[in-house]
Amino acid sequence: MFIIWHIVSLTTDGELPGPIQTFSVFYELVSHPFYDYGPNDKGIGNQLLSSLERVTKGFIIGSLIAIPMGLLMGSTKLGMNLLNPMVQVLRPVSPLAWFPIGLVAFQSAHTSTVFVIIITSLWPTLINTAFGVSTIPQDHKNVSKAFGFSTFKYITKVLLPYTLPHIITGLRLSVGIAWMVIVAAEMLSGGVGIGFFVWDSWNALSLEKVFSAILIIGLVGFLLDISFKSLQNRYSYDS
Amino acid sequence: MTANANILSEDKVKENILLRPVSIEIKDVTVSFPTHKGEYVAVKDINLEIRKGEIISLIGHSGCGKSTLMSTISGMVKPTKGEVIVNDKKVTGAGPDRGIVFQNYSLLPWLTVYQNIYEAVDSCLKGISSDQKHAIVEKNLEMVNLIPHKDKLPKQLSGGMKQRVAIARAFAINPSVLLLDEPFGALDALTKGSMHVELLKLWNLDNRNKTIVMVTHDIEEAIFLSDRIVVLNNGPAATIKDIEIVDLPRPRNKKDIVNLPEYKIIREKLLSLLVDKFSIEDDGVKYEE
Repeated sequence: MFIIWHIVSLTTDGELPGPIQTFSVFYELVSHPFYDYGPNDKGIGNQLLSSLERVTKGFIIGSLIAIPMGLLMGSTKLGMNLLNPMVQVLRPVSPLAWFPIGLVAFQSAHTSTVFVIIITSLWPTLINTAFGVSTIPQDHKNVSKAFGFSTFKYITKVLLPYTLPHIITGLRLSVGIAWMVIVAAEMLSGGVGIGFFVWDSWNALSLEKVFSAILIIGLVGFLLDISFKSLQNRYSYDS
Repeated sequence: MTANANILSEDKVKENILLRPVSIEIKDVTVSFPTHKGEYVAVKDINLEIRKGEIISLIGHSGCGKSTLMSTISGMVKPTKGEVIVNDKKVTGAGPDRGIVFQNYSLLPWLTVYQNIYEAVDSCLKGISSDQKHAIVEKNLEMVNLIPHKDKLPKQLSGGMKQRVAIARAFAINPSVLLLDEPFGALDALTKGSMHVELLKLWNLDNRNKTIVMVTHDIEEAIFLSDRIVVLNNGPAATIKDIEIVDLPRPRNKKDIVNLPEYKIIREKLLSLLVDKFSIEDDGVKYEE
């Protein structure tokens, strides 16, 4: 792959940076990740951390909204009928379309970015949670009925344990999409962040930096995904 | 104990059963379900009186409504017409006076063997301390020899062990009525045999006070365990076809009772009751199980 990349780079007369240039820039970037020379010149580590911070905030708030809503939606027919049409209409909308709404509402680009991530994190978690709750096997419900479980016991010993793997699947999808969306959102918001870094590097005509950023974004996304995958494995069960 | 003493005590037990109060009364029960093709009547006009401490088997072909009938006792299904009375109270829903063992064990897969029983005990037995609850769980695990496996999850257990957990769970809440829905249907013949003995052992330990209603389609199982066998017609709208009294002395030994003439008579009778439908249709093309 690197050979192909190198050849492609040669055919464009070096306009597209090859692997060697890219990796030397990449090395430079990661060897001093946390410098701060003013608002337009920060280390890649700082950029990454501020993006991760936004994703974390948005993801946590979004999940805290999505999980209870999903539980409600999945457990009652009324909840499903009320929420499902809304979810189905809003879900296909690119979360970036909410950015202007966020700007108006919060008067801050930073908060709007978090807002976009909140919206992003809602749908997969909401839908998976609702699906999980609505597919609780009749057998499990029968046990709860036959042995007179209280509502609290039903929720803690049947509903949540059964739904948890579904919720985690939803969270895993959400965090993956949130990490994709943050790059685009930060291109819009500017300031600091890995997305802004990509855009800024493009403006500075440093495709080496863009490539390096792509590599870093990919690696972080991969790490996020495997950490949620391990969570998923931990809480999965076979009946 | 000598054989004679056994027979004497058996007579006594039988006498006692006749003196015992009615445990379950099924009065004119009809159950029907709405389907897209109209109303489906599962069982129709069932009347049955079960005394305290009796073991009753409901037997019939698949889909004849025997599970539905039992569900009216457990309260999981509401009769469309008629009523079921358990311990002088009309059944309106599931209750801790009736312990249920489901066909597919129905253990919660995320709870250990111990927790599965504990949660049932915890919600059914009110007003006792948590130490007492734990003691009850331990005692019941011990009765089914599952102490070494108490921290395992259901998926780590064999079918027979899972069903022992389910039985221990039903016994642990100390119900006066035990309802078993094809409890041994999924087990191999050997495991099944030892489970029968185990079930009777638990029933004996409790002084044969628990009323047991069991759904089955296994004739040998029904004879070995039951005092009476209720044979249902084929559905839809199944009714009681016949009630067989199993007059075999307890404790029963599997190897010995099969040689008793009474056993053979009952077995023949049940076979003809259950199989005559086949012979009638046999000259046609349809041959169904």
